[in-house]
Amino acid sequence: MSTVSGKEAVSTEKATRAVPDHDPARGRDQAMTAGQAAGGRPIPPPRAVSAPRAWLRLLGSEVGLTFRRPRNLAMLGVLTVIPVLIGIALRMFAGTGGDGTGAPMIFERITGNGLFLTFAALSLLVQLMLPVCVAVVAGDSIAGEAGIGTLRYLLAAPAGRTRLLAVKYACVVVFCLAAVTAVALSALLVGLLLFPAGPITLLSGGTIPFLDGVLRIGVVVLYVTAGMAALGAVALALSTLTEVSVGAIASTVVIVIAAQVLRAVPQLSVLQPYLLTEWWSGFDGVLRDPVAIGDMGQGLLVFAAYAAVFCSIAWARFTGKDITA
Amino acid sequence: MSIRARRGRTVRWAVPAAAIAVIAGAIGAGPVIAAVQGDPALPERTAEQLLASAAQAGRAGLKPMSGTVMQTASLGLPGLPEVPGMGGSSPVALLSGSHELKVWYGGADKVRFALPGRMSETDLITNGDQVWLWQSDENRATRVKAGSGERGEEAARAHEALPTATTPQQLAQQLLRRVGADTVVSVSNTEKVADRAAYQLAFAPKDPSSLVKEVKLALDGETLVPLRVQVYARSAAEPAFEVGFTSVTFSPPAAENFTFTPPTGAKVEETSLAELLKERRPERGEGFEDAEKLKSEVGTVGEGWTTVAVIPVSEQELTGQGQGEGSSGAGIGAIGDALLKSAKPISGTWGSGKVIQTKLVSALLTDDGRLLVGAVTPEKLSEAAGRK
Amino acid sequence: MSRTPTDAGLAADVPGSRVGGPGGGSRREVPGAELSIVTSGLTKRFGSGQVAVDALDLAVPSGSVFGFLGPNGSGKTTTIRMLLGLVAPTAGEWRLLGTPMPGGVGGVLSRVGALVEGPAFYPYLSGEANLRRYDAADPSADPRTVSTRIGLALERVGLAAAAGKRYRAYSLGMRQRLAIAATLLGPRELLILDEPTNGLDPQGTREVRGLVKEIAAEGTTVFVSSHLLAEVEQMCSHVAVMRTGRLVAQGPIADLRASETVRIRVETPDVEEAAAVLAGLGLPEIRLGDGDVSAALGAGLPERVCAALVTGGVAVRGLAVQRPTLEDVFVGLTGEGFDVDG
Repeated sequence: MSTVSGKEAVSTEKATRAVPDHDPARGRDQAMTAGQAAGGRPIPPPRAVSAPRAWLRLLGSEVGLTFRRPRNLAMLGVLTVIPVLIGIALRMFAGTGGDGTGAPMIFERITGNGLFLTFAALSLLVQLMLPVCVAVVAGDSIAGEAGIGTLRYLLAAPAGRTRLLAVKYACVVVFCLAAVTAVALSALLVGLLLFPAGPITLLSGGTIPFLDGVLRIGVVVLYVTAGMAALGAVALALSTLTEVSVGAIASTVVIVIAAQVLRAVPQLSVLQPYLLTEWWSGFDGVLRDPVAIGDMGQGLLVFAAYAAVFCSIAWARFTGKDITA
Repeated sequence: MSIRARRGRTVRWAVPAAAIAVIAGAIGAGPVIAAVQGDPALPERTAEQLLASAAQAGRAGLKPMSGTVMQTASLGLPGLPEVPGMGGSSPVALLSGSHELKVWYGGADKVRFALPGRMSETDLITNGDQVWLWQSDENRATRVKAGSGERGEEAARAHEALPTATTPQQLAQQLLRRVGADTVVSVSNTEKVADRAAYQLAFAPKDPSSLVKEVKLALDGETLVPLRVQVYARSAAEPAFEVGFTSVTFSPPAAENFTFTPPTGAKVEETSLAELLKERRPERGEGFEDAEKLKSEVGTVGEGWTTVAVIPVSEQELTGQGQGEGSSGAGIGAIGDALLKSAKPISGTWGSGKVIQTKLVSALLTDDGRLLVGAVTPEKLSEAAGRK
Repeated sequence: MSRTPTDAGLAADVPGSRVGGPGGGSRREVPGAELSIVTSGLTKRFGSGQVAVDALDLAVPSGSVFGFLGPNGSGKTTTIRMLLGLVAPTAGEWRLLGTPMPGGVGGVLSRVGALVEGPAFYPYLSGEANLRRYDAADPSADPRTVSTRIGLALERVGLAAAAGKRYRAYSLGMRQRLAIAATLLGPRELLILDEPTNGLDPQGTREVRGLVKEIAAEGTTVFVSSHLLAEVEQMCSHVAVMRTGRLVAQGPIADLRASETVRIRVETPDVEEAAAVLAGLGLPEIRLGDGDVSAALGAGLPERVCAALVTGGVAVRGLAVQRPTLEDVFVGLTGEGFDVDG
C-alpha cells in the first residue's frame, strides 16, 4: 500500500491469482449456494483442509507458542535443574544425614541406586513445583489470550470456541508431559552419572532388573502427567472465568495449597479420597510387589473425573461467554 | 433470540451438571445398588444360626484369600499433633484418618500383610517357619526366629508385631468373645461389603450409659468370613471406627507373595518374637516390663459394655515429662498434652479431676492420681470413681 | 437517502428495499443474498442493564464500502463484536454473507477479515509468526500456501521489510498495519475494519484509504467503522450513523447528500437587490445575511444566476455554490457534531 508502483501491480496480480472468485457476483453466488447447501454449511473450497489436519495445525501452533515462550522455557529449565541439585547435594553430603532424623528414606536410597533419584525427584516436585508450573501454563491459556486481546482475533479467524478450548487443553496436556518428562530424564541422567545403577529394590523388599525399573519410570511419568493434566483442567476452567491470567494462576495455586493443607488435617480424612493432591504421589504403587494397579487405577479415575468435570465447566463457560476483551 | 440464548446456556451448563451427577452417582452407587438389588440376596438366618456357623467356619480355618482392608477412625479426638517419625505403621496413627492394609492369606502359615505408606511400605511375611518384617523406610529386614512354642502359634502371634495390621477377622473374634447377655442382637441379610453379599449382625448394648450405640459385623454370605466391623457411637450417624475389606478375592494368592529375600544393601537383623514385640511397642510405657507391671495395677469397675478401667497414673507420667526417650515416647507425651488441654474439670463425692470425652471413649484423670477409662458417659466414670 | 425507522413496525422493509448498492438492481429470491450484512432488531443489553446497541437494523450491500459512523461509545464496536459472534446479542437476528448467524460462524468467518478494536498480537513473536498463528486458527486456511499468503498480505500493507521483527518492537502504525494484514490472509468477501486508521499518521491514513479502495475494487465488501466523518466521506459509498446505540440514518452517501439542497451564495453590498434578482429567477429559500444572500439552487445553473445578477446591476463581490458536506447532513440528522479532524 505504501508505494503505488509496478511492484504493487505485481502484488495485485498475485492477489488476483490467490483470490479466484474476486468477482463480487461470483462470490455472492458461491455464498448463496453455500448457504443453501446442507443447512448453512459452506461448500468446502477446492483446496479443502480436513478437520483433523486443521486441528493438528492449530495444536502445532499452540504447542509452538507454548514452548517458544521464554517464561515457559524458564520453568522447564528450573524443573530440569532441581534433580541435578538434589543429585549433587546427595553426592557431596552422602552418609552424613543418615542418622534417622526422619528424612525420607527414599533420598538415602539414591546413593545406593541412581534410578531412585527419579522417584525421589518426582515425589518431591509433584507436591508443589510441578503443579505451579502447570497452573501457570493452563491458567494463562484462555485468560492470557483474553488479556492481550488475541482471543478475539483467534475466534474471528474463526478458531471455533470448542475447537480452541480442545486445542488449549491438549496443549496443556503436552506441557504436563514435557514438564514431567524433563524432571524424569534429568533425574535419570544425573542419577546414572553420579550414583551406581543396578537392579532396583522395591518398597515391598523385592528386586527387579534395571531395565524393568526404567520401564516403571515410564509408567510413573504417564501417571504423574495424568495427575498434572487433571490440575490443568481445573486451571483451564478458572482461566475461562477471568481476563487476568494472574488471577487464574493464583487461584489454582491457592487451591493446590488448600488441598495440601486439608490433606494434613486428620479430622478431615473423610475428604482425602476426593482431593486431587491426595493421588498425585500414588505413583509409588509401581514400586510395590505386586504393582498396586488397583490404587493407581483409582488415582487415574480420580484424575479423569476431575478432568471431565472441569473441562466441561470450562466448555460451558467459554462457549457462552461474551468476549469483550 | 433471547429465549434461544437462554435455552442454549441452560443446555451448555447441563453438561458439567451431568458430569458431576455421573461422578457423584459412581461414588454413591455402591450403597444405592446394594439397597436396590440387595433384598433377596441371601437366605434368611437367625442370629444364633449365623453365630454358630461363623464359629464353626472359624474353627475350620480360613480359606485362602487376598484383599484390601480399609480402617477408618473418626473418634472425635481433639486435634492430634503431627508426630515426626511416626509413619503409617505407628499405632497412634490409627486413632484418626484412614489406613490401608493389604492382606494375602494362603493358609495358616502363609500370610502376608502390607501397610503401604507414602513412598514406603511395611510388610510382615509369614511363610512356614520363616517370619520376616520388612520396613522399607528403614531399609531393614528383620527375621523373626522361631521360638520354643508351637510353630503355628508363633506365626499367629506374629501379627502383633504390626499393631496396625488389624483385620476384620481379628476384631470379630474379640467381639464375639465379649458378646453377653447385656446385648441386643439383630441380623439383616441385605448388606453388601467389598462387592459381596453379606449378612450383618448388629450388637447393641442395653445399658444407656454406654457410649457405643451398636457394633455391626458383616459376614460374607458364602464363606461367613467376617468382612467388616463397624462401631457406632451414640452421638454420630457415621461409624466412629470401621475396619472392613474394600476388595476381597477368595482364591489362593500367588506364591511370590510369601517369598521374601532380603534385598542387597538392606540391614538384616534377627530377633525373637518377644524381643520384636518389645521393640515395636515402646508406646506402652517405659518398656515391656513396665507394661507388664502396669497390667497388674489396672483394676476394673463394672462389666460388659460399661467396663471402666482404673489405672493409677499421674499427670506428669501422662504427658511424658522427663521421659523423652526416643521419638515415640515424646510423641505419646505430645498427644497426652494435647488431650489434657481439651479436658474439662469435673468434681464429685470422690474429689475432683479432669474429664475428656470423645465419641467412643471417656477418660477421667482424678487429682488423686487415678485414670478411669471406658466407653461410657462421663457421669458413669464419675460414678465409678466414687466406688473406688 | 433513507432514514432508518427505529420502531419495529417498519423494520421489516429495510433489507433490500431502500438500499441499492452497485449492481443492486437485480433483486433475488433469497432475502439478504445481495447484502453482505443484514441485521434486524439486533440488541445488546449488558448485565449492568446498560443498552449498548438498541434494535439495530443494518443493511450492508455487497460490494459497497460501508461507513459505520458514530461518536466513541455509540455502540459501533459492540455491534462489530456481535456481527463476529464474539458477543451474544440480547435480541435480534443477523446474517453474514447470506448465512444466518451465529449458527454459521464456523463457515462464514473464514471469508470475513476482521479488525476489531485495535491490533492484538503476541509481543514475543515476529510479525510473520503472528500472522502464521492467526492463519492456523482458521480451519479452512491451506497450510501449503501460508507463506505466500502471508508474504502478500505483508507486502500489501508495506510491512514486508519488518516481517521478521518482533511485534514488541513495532511502532503503533506498524501494529495497525499488521492488524490490517491479518485481515487479508485469505480470499475475503467481506472486511470488517473497526477504526482502521487509529494511531496512523496522515501518510498512513492516506495509505489505508487507498488500500480500502483497492480492496473494494476487487469486489470485496468493506465495512469500516469510524468516528471520523471526513474519513468516511472520503472512503465510503454507503454510510450508517449510530448515536447512543441507535441507528439514526443509513444509505448511499450520494442519497444522503442529495437530501440537503445545494445552495448558491452571493457576496454583495446590495443585499436587497440581489435577493430580488434571485427571487425573480424563482429560487426558493432565500436567506438574507450581512453582506450576503443565499438561496437554494435546486436544478438551477449557477452561470445563469451570475448573468442575471450582473444584468440586474447587483455588485457581486463573490459567488459560490455550496454543496452540503456530510457534516451538514449529520448535524441536521443528529443535532450534534462529529469530530471532523482526526
